Amino acid sequence: MAGVALLLFGAAGAHILARAIAVPPIPLLLLAGVALSGTGLLEPVLLEDSLILGVAFLLFATGTELEAGQTAALRRATLRVGMLQIVVLALLGSAVAGLLGFGAVESAYIGLALTASSTLVGIRLLRSRKQIFEPFGRLVVGVLLLQDVFVILLVPLVTGGRGGQAGIAGDVAAIAVLLALAWSFRRWITPRLARLDGDMEGMLLVSLATLFGFVTLAGGLRLPVVAGAFLAGFALARFPFRSMLRSRLAPVADFFAAIFFTALGALVSIPTAPELGLAMLFSALVIGATTPLVVWISERVGFFSARPALEAGLLLSQTSELSLIIGLLGMLAGDISQSVFTVIALVTVLTMTLTPFLTSDRVVWWLMRLHPLRAESRSPPPAGGHIVMLGSGTTGMPLVETLLAAGNDVVVVDDDPAVIARLREADVPCIRGDASDVEVLHAANAQSARLIASTIRRPADNLRLLEYARGVPVLVRVFEEEDADRIRELGGMPVLYSEAAAESLMRWLHRAPPRSLRRSPQSAKNEASAKRNPGSTSSPSSTASSLSTRRLPPGS
Amino acid sequence: MTESPILRDLTWVVTAAAAGLLLARAVRLPPMVAYMVAGLVLGPLTGLVAVGESVERISEVGIALLLFLVGLELSLDRIRDIGRVAVLAGAGQILVTAAGGFGLATLLGFTPVAAGFIALAVTFSSTVVVVKLLEHRGELTSLHGRMAVGILLVQDVVVALALTVLAGIGGSGPAGAVAVTAGLGRAFAGTVLLAVVAFLAARWALPRLFAWLARSQEAVFVWSLSWCFLLVLLAHALHLSVELGAFAAGVALAQLPHNEDLVRRVQPLVDFFLAVFFVSLGIRLDPGAAAGSLGAAVALSLFVLAGKPLVVMLLLPRFGVGGRTAFMTGLYLGQTSEFSFILASLGLAAGLIDHALLSLIGVMGLATIGVSASLIGAAGRVGDAAAAAGLLQPLGPPDPAGPLPPDAEPGGHAIVVGMNTLGRRLAGELVDRGHDVLALDVDPAKLRGLPCRTMAADAEQPAVLAQAGLARAGLLISTLQIEDTNRLLAYRARAAGVPACIHAFDASLVRELEELGVAHLMVSKHEGIRQLATELRRLGVID
Repeated sequence: MAGVALLLFGAAGAHILARAIAVPPIPLLLLAGVALSGTGLLEPVLLEDSLILGVAFLLFATGTELEAGQTAALRRATLRVGMLQIVVLALLGSAVAGLLGFGAVESAYIGLALTASSTLVGIRLLRSRKQIFEPFGRLVVGVLLLQDVFVILLVPLVTGGRGGQAGIAGDVAAIAVLLALAWSFRRWITPRLARLDGDMEGMLLVSLATLFGFVTLAGGLRLPVVAGAFLAGFALARFPFRSMLRSRLAPVADFFAAIFFTALGALVSIPTAPELGLAMLFSALVIGATTPLVVWISERVGFFSARPALEAGLLLSQTSELSLIIGLLGMLAGDISQSVFTVIALVTVLTMTLTPFLTSDRVVWWLMRLHPLRAESRSPPPAGGHIVMLGSGTTGMPLVETLLAAGNDVVVVDDDPAVIARLREADVPCIRGDASDVEVLHAANAQSARLIASTIRRPADNLRLLEYARGVPVLVRVFEEEDADRIRELGGMPVLYSEAAAESLMRWLHRAPPRSLRRSPQSAKNEASAKRNPGSTSSPSSTASSLSTRRLPPGS
Repeated sequence: MTESPILRDLTWVVTAAAAGLLLARAVRLPPMVAYMVAGLVLGPLTGLVAVGESVERISEVGIALLLFLVGLELSLDRIRDIGRVAVLAGAGQILVTAAGGFGLATLLGFTPVAAGFIALAVTFSSTVVVVKLLEHRGELTSLHGRMAVGILLVQDVVVALALTVLAGIGGSGPAGAVAVTAGLGRAFAGTVLLAVVAFLAARWALPRLFAWLARSQEAVFVWSLSWCFLLVLLAHALHLSVELGAFAAGVALAQLPHNEDLVRRVQPLVDFFLAVFFVSLGIRLDPGAAAGSLGAAVALSLFVLAGKPLVVMLLLPRFGVGGRTAFMTGLYLGQTSEFSFILASLGLAAGLIDHALLSLIGVMGLATIGVSASLIGAAGRVGDAAAAAGLLQPLGPPDPAGPLPPDAEPGGHAIVVGMNTLGRRLAGELVDRGHDVLALDVDPAKLRGLPCRTMAADAEQPAVLAQAGLARAGLLISTLQIEDTNRLLAYRARAAGVPACIHAFDASLVRELEELGVAHLMVSKHEGIRQLATELRRLGVID
């Protein structure tokens, strides 16, 4: 029990520090583990148990995130970005490692470890910044999961369960069998499991039984735990069961994750200077190679313009918890030395710690200056007195047409190439670029416009726009009341689309009220009397008092 | 790593537990019974699994977490809410049942020490089983439900003390009275110290720490667990039981606001670890040894099944509780507890009882929990029939509230999930139109100043939706901008036959939501463009 308690303290301390300095917790958990191993109070059996269970739960949780909820275009972009990143980084990593004098096997491990980007860090950052539903957010999530799949499927081949040519064929066959099983389970059994909704304990235990069953099966097929656990998660990753499971699984997974990373840290040796140097070199490689690669591909595929591509690239520039697991497996199999494992761990710590900083607004805008193509326009700059529409999307096209029909000069700014293509076909002057980029606003001659209508998503970008376009009436589409207030303070005119959405619901209710929805007879009378005497208003106090007595006491 | 003992053991244990649980649900038995039977199958019956060190460690963690959870539920509000009736009735019940149990055990020929353990085992009822049954039947807020929970909480406090005493006795070994008294004294001193530490922390350190961490749920969770284990280590150092430390830690945290969220997070962890505990308990049972004292087992089980409820049914009306409520409360309390096993395990470890007695207590637990759960299933009907036949007259006057639970909902209300600007606007407009509205949000700060009923909870949990009365609702509205939660809400609304209006905050989500049979979609971006057009018209830019 003392060992478990110690691991938990280490984890707790790491979480506090992570909160204080705004860094992902994983690197600090590793460091906590390093510190704890110095005390000598952690028994090897406990560490082993923590590592095994941690790996199983971590990959199980990752596997449950695998759901094919993407559009065709996004899937293509994801595939290209993901595959290219894997291939290039793996080759580059292995090549550099080979050049530095590592053996073939060790270089392969290093290459594979450098490939994966961190699902935990990436998704957490996207969620906390509420960017997970933006197109680049969806791309990043897709790429992360794709990488997980590939790396996990490649792991058995690298660790070589059987060895030799026949061994590799055997491994591939084993993976195929397990995959087929997981796929069938997901197709036929998981939909039935949705019946367990409401039985929280049953849902959890059935899922855990699935996890351990697959893990044991994987063991029987001479595949590592990672493959079994991941495929178990995949087998259960189907709506609605997956969503129902998430709230039950998360605490268990968090518990084992905390213990896992701390225990892992205990296996890392205190780094020597050359190891530190190597770690910095590989970290630079990961960051330096990933971002330009992602930006280049995104432009090629025509999926994004500069800024989201840059943000996606930076968000993918770190190594992963999977890298740590690969290192661990390699070290336990005797394929790599503890020194190499330490280097991999250090690279992970460095790159994960840097990610929040790299993806911050300031850094992104600084790097944007290096981008060759920020504002792409094929029409001459507008003369003035025109209407600028920032971010139209497909939803905004009818509005653009209406504006043109009323005889206005319109310039549309959007970063979606499909939208730009359609606009150009219709001979509408448009600029492809990020609507909050000053260069783009310059190209649109926004300061001489008659009116600017902004459907830009991020509140901070809208504020920047208002600063730039003083003197021009600016209509800004916002959702939250607080954002509307801030827009008003800076002289803009907010358009609350939450209000519009509410009105749409009330109109529907008026037109087709569901029979199950009850109305209190008191207010029905009020409304009837209000209709009869249009001048008088129904008394709010009576309805308010009848409702206030039904308010639940606090804390119940 | 592929040949690891812990994975192999856990695979057997968890699979057996899951299978057992599904079977138990089918026959409406509590899961605890299923786990122990599964353990019996795995261990004594087939010899497939022996309890290794790793599984043992998981079981220990499970017990500690269970007591942590029990402590967490013990917020001062709850205690005040229950009132003196439960405290007095609970104390009375413990005394009478313990005395009766001790007497019966002595009559059956057990030694005083063994009889003492049997008395302890018989006295407590199962918090886990009763709360789960109440929740399952939706009777947690009923009068008899709250009364039962109150008595159980009183029992939990006594259990914690019993564990301390046991640790005190166990620590000094089978020595003379002086050593035992010294041990007890040390144990009590240690308990006081523990209580002081917990109290001080709950007053000064913890609220600030948790307020600061509040935004990150994961950090709060990890910290709560490590706080629990901190006190566990302290208890260990003070020669107290591990469980007492965990209990104190839980009580300390129970006084903080928003502990329901923490309870919900700890629950799955407890479910998992406890399942392992009960299966491993079943593995260690020796039915052969218990068969030797079958008569005693039957007698004691009958005492628990019939005698204990009777004690409660007779005690409660003395404090002014109505006849039917007393009957229902008594019925719910007619089984032994998971603590009976835990206390017995500790007794075995301390050398105070033998393996046969442990198995006897185990078998008794299995039998009483199984039977009482079935009885409770029929409780409502039995209670009404008994009341009608006038059988409950000697117990006391009929309940003033009548057969309906006092806070039944009329239904037909609108549930609005997500109090962002859209949610708040909708809540206000629906109230103006005369509808009954319940506003739900995870963040209590967003629920301030609303003209309707509110609930601070996570709408993803089915228990929350049940509490919000989804089954009787007239409409479910979600204004959230979270794809997964919206889909789940739409699914659950459809399953409950309630029309749903979902916020489709991105055009790509429309198709899936339509497939889920949503009654109306708020495609906010489309509406936003329409509103933009209106504004432009107003500014004279278009006509």
